[in-house]
Amino acid sequence: MSLQLTAILAEVAPHFDGYVYPNESGSHPLWGVLIVLYPYITGLVAGAFIMASLVRVFRVKALEPVYRLSLLTALAFLLCATLPLLLHLGHPERSYQIMITPHLTSPMAIFGFVYAWYLMAVLLLELWFDYRGDLVNWGRTEPGLRGFIYRLLTVGVSDVSPAAIALDHKLSWIISILGIPSAFLLHGYVGFIFGSIKANPWWGNAIMPIIFILSAMVSGIALCVFVYMVLSWRRRRALDMRCLDVMGMYLFYALVIDAAIEALDWIHRAYSAEEGFHVMEYMAQQRLFYTLSIGQLLMGTLIPLLTLGSLQVARKFVSDAIRTRLYFTCAIFVLLGVLAMRWNVVMGGQFFSKSLRGVMSYKLEFAGAEGWFLGLMLLSLPFIILTVLIKLFLSQSLLTSGHVPHRPDPT
Amino acid sequence: MRCFQMPPQVFRVVLLIFAIGVSYLVARTLLTPASFHEYGFYRGAALAEHTTRHEPVFAGKLACGVRHPDVLKTLAKGGHKNLSCEACHGVVSPQHLTDPTSNMDKPSGAICLRCHEASPSRPAGFRQIVVKDHYAEKCIECHLPHEPNEVP
Repeated sequence: MSLQLTAILAEVAPHFDGYVYPNESGSHPLWGVLIVLYPYITGLVAGAFIMASLVRVFRVKALEPVYRLSLLTALAFLLCATLPLLLHLGHPERSYQIMITPHLTSPMAIFGFVYAWYLMAVLLLELWFDYRGDLVNWGRTEPGLRGFIYRLLTVGVSDVSPAAIALDHKLSWIISILGIPSAFLLHGYVGFIFGSIKANPWWGNAIMPIIFILSAMVSGIALCVFVYMVLSWRRRRALDMRCLDVMGMYLFYALVIDAAIEALDWIHRAYSAEEGFHVMEYMAQQRLFYTLSIGQLLMGTLIPLLTLGSLQVARKFVSDAIRTRLYFTCAIFVLLGVLAMRWNVVMGGQFFSKSLRGVMSYKLEFAGAEGWFLGLMLLSLPFIILTVLIKLFLSQSLLTSGHVPHRPDPT
Repeated sequence: MRCFQMPPQVFRVVLLIFAIGVSYLVARTLLTPASFHEYGFYRGAALAEHTTRHEPVFAGKLACGVRHPDVLKTLAKGGHKNLSCEACHGVVSPQHLTDPTSNMDKPSGAICLRCHEASPSRPAGFRQIVVKDHYAEKCIECHLPHEPNEVP
């Protein structure tokens, strides 16, 4: 064996296992951390919005303190939802071309329309109609730049008569009703992108959009629990335990349905013994053991399911302090579990060979365009935006008529 | 009869959406690259940019036709009419271009077998042979690759 061949083999051999096609042997997965974050962030948006619509559409009174907070959370994450895709594509100098040359037949390009609809026609409008009365009042009382921002956001409408405010609420309600199917469309679309790839048994699946929507609801509610608790601790204000219990209850319900549908998917595949099932089994047991079996199944599903389930039954026997800690732990576990689920879907589908008889290896890098450091930066960006939004629109010093956490004292 | 009046906040939102729509259309006319839609749903100039970035490898059939029009004419009559010269003869060498007397590679039978070795994955009507039952890899002793329809 020549020296050159030995060097090539030493380079290539550890990168795959089993039977892999020659053109896959040296291939690096084309989609990395950024494409994992894209469905994750989009799902958090859809979930947080559905959480808010529980108040507006389904009139869940107990959740009123987190109504505006969840809408602002959805906005902060929605503003970052396209970033992973744009960063993945590279060429920032051409990014505007996506908008000026919209494509109508590419399923990938349709995201532009879905995104624009959701941001412009749903989220911003609902927020504006909900905040309009407050914006007018704050614009009159707040000095300086802050007041200027509020006045600018009123777009010159200063009518705060009870009839006008009632109309605002009515419109906000209509938009919220429109928003629920839109949120399903937004995230169902992300599931569709993967589910429509029929050549890949890990992705090609008609219930993929449903799995994505349900996991989005789970992660969105968990995110709202997390944000609400962190905000309360930061402000050193008491948590509204009733609100937290109801959020925990909805998180539990969403988790039950999500876990049931995902389990059904696996049971169906196992029983019908589809062609690709062997490689999927191998992936779950070996290749994705930590992210799928430990991260997604144990940490992201079973532990929160058992904890939240027992809290539904024995809530009154558990003290507030312990319940708070349990909710917080569950929220973090669910958030990490759903992140692991996105990783398993996106990366899992690229780890095995098209022969369905071999797997490739992958090393997550620290730096670079697909490194985890950039992923971490991207994930912290919505929280930074949310902090600014909270300072502007949920400030404790502002009198408000809306549903806000830690309602300021009128005195 | 009272005339319908749009509530001020709705009117402003409609106005704002209209303004956004108009500014989008203006931005679109100004920013769409000039050569977009020239050939299809992409920037036509991208093709020219691409050719300057990569040195062309194959000369193409037309280039061979300059010196060998008779061969191309023969080739066009038979079953190999869609094949490119360089598919069998290999990439045209710089020596061959500067000095036409330096010959290109004579293709061996192995080249023929790339397509004609029997394989269940090929279409049934496609001519295939099992080379060990045939006559080894000496195809051109009997067959004429430029006139494959001629029976040997």
